[in-house]
Formats: sequence, C-alpha cells, structure tokens
Amino acid sequence: MSLRRWFAVVRKEFRHITRDPRTFFLVTISPAVLLFMLAYVFAFDVTHVVLGVMDLDRSTLSRRYVSALTSDGDLEVRAYVDDYEEAEDALLHGELDAVLVIPPDFEERAYSGSPAPLQAIVDGADPLVGGEALRGLASRTNAFALDLLPGGSAPATGLDVRGRAWYNPDLKSLIGMVPGLMAVVLCMPALAVALALAREKEVGSFEALIATPLSRTEYLVGKLVPYVLSGLASVGLAWLIAVSWFRVPFRGDLPLFLLLAVDYLVASMGLSMFIASLVPNQQTTILTVLMIFFVPSFFLSGLILPVNRETLWTLLAAYSLPPTHFIVIARGIFLKGLELADLWPPILSLGGIGGLTLALGLLFTRKRVA
Amino acid sequence: MILQICNLIFKEFIQFRRDWMMAAFIIALPLLELVLLAETTGRGLKHFSMAVLDLDNSRVSRRLVTTLDNTQELDARYYPSDAAEMRHLLDRGLANLAVVIPRGFAASWDSPRSAPQVQVIADGSNSIVGSSALSAAEGVLTNFALDMALRHGTGVVSPIVLHTTIRFNRTLNFRHYALPAQLGFIVYQVTLTIASLTFARERELGTLEQLLVAPLRRAELVIGKVIPPLVIGTLNFLVLLAVTVFGFGVPCRGSFPLLLALTLLFILAESGWGVVISCFSRTQQQAILFVFLQAMTDMTFSGYMVPVSNMPWLMQALSVFVPLRHYLIIIRTIVIKGASLSLLWREVAALVFLSLSVLAIGLVSLHRRLE
Repeated sequence: MSLRRWFAVVRKEFRHITRDPRTFFLVTISPAVLLFMLAYVFAFDVTHVVLGVMDLDRSTLSRRYVSALTSDGDLEVRAYVDDYEEAEDALLHGELDAVLVIPPDFEERAYSGSPAPLQAIVDGADPLVGGEALRGLASRTNAFALDLLPGGSAPATGLDVRGRAWYNPDLKSLIGMVPGLMAVVLCMPALAVALALAREKEVGSFEALIATPLSRTEYLVGKLVPYVLSGLASVGLAWLIAVSWFRVPFRGDLPLFLLLAVDYLVASMGLSMFIASLVPNQQTTILTVLMIFFVPSFFLSGLILPVNRETLWTLLAAYSLPPTHFIVIARGIFLKGLELADLWPPILSLGGIGGLTLALGLLFTRKRVA
Repeated sequence: MILQICNLIFKEFIQFRRDWMMAAFIIALPLLELVLLAETTGRGLKHFSMAVLDLDNSRVSRRLVTTLDNTQELDARYYPSDAAEMRHLLDRGLANLAVVIPRGFAASWDSPRSAPQVQVIADGSNSIVGSSALSAAEGVLTNFALDMALRHGTGVVSPIVLHTTIRFNRTLNFRHYALPAQLGFIVYQVTLTIASLTFARERELGTLEQLLVAPLRRAELVIGKVIPPLVIGTLNFLVLLAVTVFGFGVPCRGSFPLLLALTLLFILAESGWGVVISCFSRTQQQAILFVFLQAMTDMTFSGYMVPVSNMPWLMQALSVFVPLRHYLIIIRTIVIKGASLSLLWREVAALVFLSLSVLAIGLVSLHRRLE
C-alpha cells in the first residue's frame, strides 16, 4: 500500500465532499437535522390517560372513588357517559382510552361486606396507552380499597412503595430517545460513502481508476478516512443539538464519546461499503441502505422496545446492526456517565462488524470491467 | 387513446422487468421490513428483566418476589448480593428494573408504627420500558399490600373489585398495533419512490423529448405514468396484508373491500404527488432525496408513533394536509377496531380532497414543466 497513492484518494474525496452540496449535506448537517425532526416523532410520553365514567350509582363513595383515581393528574376524566352504546362509540372513535362503569348499588355493597364490582373497559388498540390505563386503574383502585378497609389508613396495612427511575428521573421519553436516535441518524454519513462508491461505478470513473496502479485497499481506505473525519463533524453537531436544544444531560466524557463515535462510523461505513460493493447503481444503493440498515435500526436495535432475545434470528439480526451497539454506548455515556471499562462489549462488537464488513467489501470490490 | 395509454404502461413495465434489482427491492425488502417489525413487536411490553435485592430474606419477602415474578411483565432474572452489584446491572442495561426489599421488611408488617417499605428502581434511559416496568411493579405491590391486609384481618374481603375488559386488542399485542401502520407506511414509501422516478428517469436518460414528441396527449402521458406505481403499490399492499393477516395472525376486523377501496384512494394521491416530484427533479437522485425528506416529514406528522392528539396544536393543524395521517387512522381503525365507513367519513373526505388537489396541481405543473 503506497501512502502517496492512498493520500491522493483522500484528497480527492475531501474535495468531493466540500464541493458537492448534496454530499456535504448528507455527511455533515443531515444527522443534526434528522435528529431534530425524529426526536419529535419518537418522543411520546404516555402519562396521560383519558377516561370516561359511567356512574350509575351517583353516590358519595362513587364520587370519592373517581376523585381518588384522578388526584395525581395521570388519569383525566374527560366525559361522563350514560350508557354502554355511548361508551362503545367513544372507544371506537378513540376519543376515550377507557371507560369506567360504576354499578347502581356500588356504595351499598362496598359497605355491606360483599365486594362491590366495578368494570373498566379499556381500548387496547394502542397497547402502550391501553396498558397504562389498565395498570393506572388497577393500582389506584387497590389503594382506594385499602383505604376503605376497617381501620383503613393505619400505617400497618399500607405498603410504602418508593418508585423511582434512575438516569431519567421524570421518565421523559425525549431524554432517552435523543441519545438513542443519534445512532440512527448517524447512518447518513454511511449512506454518503455508499453513494460515492456507487456513483463511481455508475458514472464510469471507476473504470478509469482500474487503469491506474491504485490498489483496492488504497481505494477503499482512502474513501473511508475522509468520510469518517467529516462524519465526526456531524457527531459534534448532533451532540450540540442534543445537549443545547433538547437539554439531554451529558454525564460522561466527551472525548470518549467522540472516540467511540469513530468506532461506530467505521462499523456503519464498513457495512454500507459492503452493500455498495454488491449493488450496481446509486438508486439501488439508496434503497438497500435505507431498507436493510436505516429502517431496521429503528425497530430491531432496542431504540423503542428492548432487543428481542427470544428468537435466535432476531437476536442475530439485532446484534449485526451497528446501531444496536451504539445505542447502548450513547445512552450509557449520555445518561449513565459510563466509562470505557463498562462499555467493552458494544465497543468490541462494533470493531468486529467494522473489520468484517470492510474485509468483505474489499473482497467484492473487483478491479475489473463488468 | 386507451390503446396509447396501455402502450405506455406496457413500456414502463418492460423497464421494470429489466431493472430486476429494483423489482426485487419493491417486493422483497418491504416484506423483510414487515417481518422484522413483526418479530420485534411480537413480544410486546412483557418480560422485563428484573433484579431483586432481597435484604430481608424472609417468608414474606420471598412471597413478594414470587408474586412479582409471576406477572407477565416482570421476570426476576438477577439476584444481586449488594447495592453496588445492583447498580452495575442497571448501568449495563442487563436489568430494566431493580426491587430492593429492606431488612426488617417482614417484621414491619406486624409493627403498628412503621409501614413496610419497598424500593423500586427503573432504568429510565428507555422511558417506555422504564415507565411500563415501574407501573407494572407498582401495580403488583399495591395488590400485594391489599392481599396482606386482607390476610391480617381474617374474614375480611376487599370492599371493591375491579374487573377489566380490554376491547379490540385483548392481549395488548403490540404487533396488532404496529403492523397495520407499518404496512401503510411501506405502501406509501414504495408508491412514492416509484412514482417519483418516472419522469426523472426519462429526463436523465434523455428520452423525455422522445416521449413528448410521441403522439400522446399530456393527460395520456400523465395517466400512463401514474398507473404503474398505482398497480405496484396495490400489489404490494395485497401481498403485505396477506402476510400480516395470515402470516402474523393480526385479525382484520373490518371490511376488506372498504379497506381496499380507501387504500386505492390513498395510493392514487401518493402516486400523483410522486409524479409531481418527478416532474420537478432533474435527476433520479434528486427525486429520491426529496422523497426521503418528504417521508421523514410525513412520518413526523402522520401519528405513526406519537398520536396526533399529543402533538402541539400547530403540528396538529398542519397534519391535516398529510394524506398519510388520514390513511394511518383509516387502516388502524378498520383493521384493529373493525370500523365502518360511517365512522371514518372525516378521514375519507380529507383523503378525497387531498388526492383531487394533488392531481390538479400535477396536471397544471406538468403542463408547464414538460413544455
């Protein structure tokens, strides 16, 4: 490998990045822009459950019960409904998340020693909201029942549950989502590399390179370095957006974060170079990178739901995607203030993916005319 | 006239067949996407891994741990021996939730002075997981407290009992909620991408002039260009719906003809818009880049993840102009809730209005751009 030839490719590619506005946008600014937009797509707090009440008892106890349910503001009574038909309609329209039915003899039975039944009809269509409604109603009802017991609120009968969330005490989804999304949006510089490779094939300048003494390694590594370096600029920009606009706490070490971002960029660019070595033109490159890299990284990587460890192939698919590992790193450094020693599994996995995909890309990049 | 349009459509499909990579991506990759999503969401918000630090180690505390472990949401997977080890489990993300039972837990049930305490710590770095696990644990714990209180006072029964009925998605299966929306999004993606390439490809290859001088009227040209993405989008929809319903067991409760009709309307709107994009882009890449940005924006406004009602009011107002928003409501309500047309008239009216205006914009701008 000749350093001079390699450096020529690096210089050429740097010139391309700064000259072509589209590539420049993809490599440096687009991750920050995407982060800004996607954070609003994926940040959803299901703290608010909208409740309808069908109070057929209209007693002191039923009113006390309803106000006990809503006292902390997580459940909101938006409507009082008169019959099941109205309840069903509101649930179908999605206007209410749940309807609580209090039967006519509720108060009487509650004091008579036989359990008074209550009914909650929950709209399960959105499992996040439905589950929240279900659990919120159940735990508040239990607490209310405990209060009603003879000798009710004596301390000996209650259980003092101290629930708290570490790293993100208010459980705001934005705080957890933004570091995770950084992994997804940093796929963009990788897309730019794949496009650069595919364009050379499409435009025919790759054929011109075949005639030169440039080797495959010099060619690929020469492409990689400028993109990793300018990708690092996009990491910085995205970091700024996360910290200053979204006010995500950054508890770790910034140099460590940037270093591991390089690890991630190499892995993701290796993957996209491997893809580019297999497909013929830019159009298919974009589609492939988007569909087997960008889109799955939303679902498989543990960004929204934890990685599914139950079936072997989803486990394999998840762990062969670079974002899965970088999400652990980003959340760890941002929110948990982790250090190098805590993060070795994702770091090594990223290194492994990077090395393997670069080797494969090298293998499939042939210096010959198709 | 019909013959000429047919010829044009035929030509388009020949081009598709040549570009077999593209054809593979149109069918195979959407399928992959759907399967991936189905596999990840199949489990839903269950089986969160739990670490238990039981410092009391009494009969009562062990019963509490068993009760927690017996819920669907929580799996007691780790038993750290001290707080440092527990912290490590949370730091590494191995445990989503930690429960600390302090020393003297069992004794405090009998003491009248102090209430027994339990500490529940959730990993908040993924807030969905954190809050679900936390509220699941709190539910179990209040239930346990009620149960303990009933045991203490012999012969006492709980004064009130809550019976819950879950409608539309009885097991709260996340798959049933996520797949229909993803299906809609994939159909959107494929239709828009193909449609956006139509004129851009001709212009890039220099064949646009030939088409313009061919004995075709402008309207015929546009119709001929809109139909192929329409057909491919519809085929895609049918295949993916079959996979969703028969492969992944998501029941389609509503009427299939209604869903198909409204899907056609949606695909028409998106193909029209794609052709407009295609008219204005000089190269295929420009078109694809534009589609990508558009897809991101549409996703933001569509209620794909965040319910539209949770957005700020300005976004809610703007989202009315996004066809995907209306279509996602339509497909979700028909598939999950089995809704009929009367329930969806607002969305249908909006979709009709949007597709008509897109076609109008398309015809006018095409006239200008193609001359």
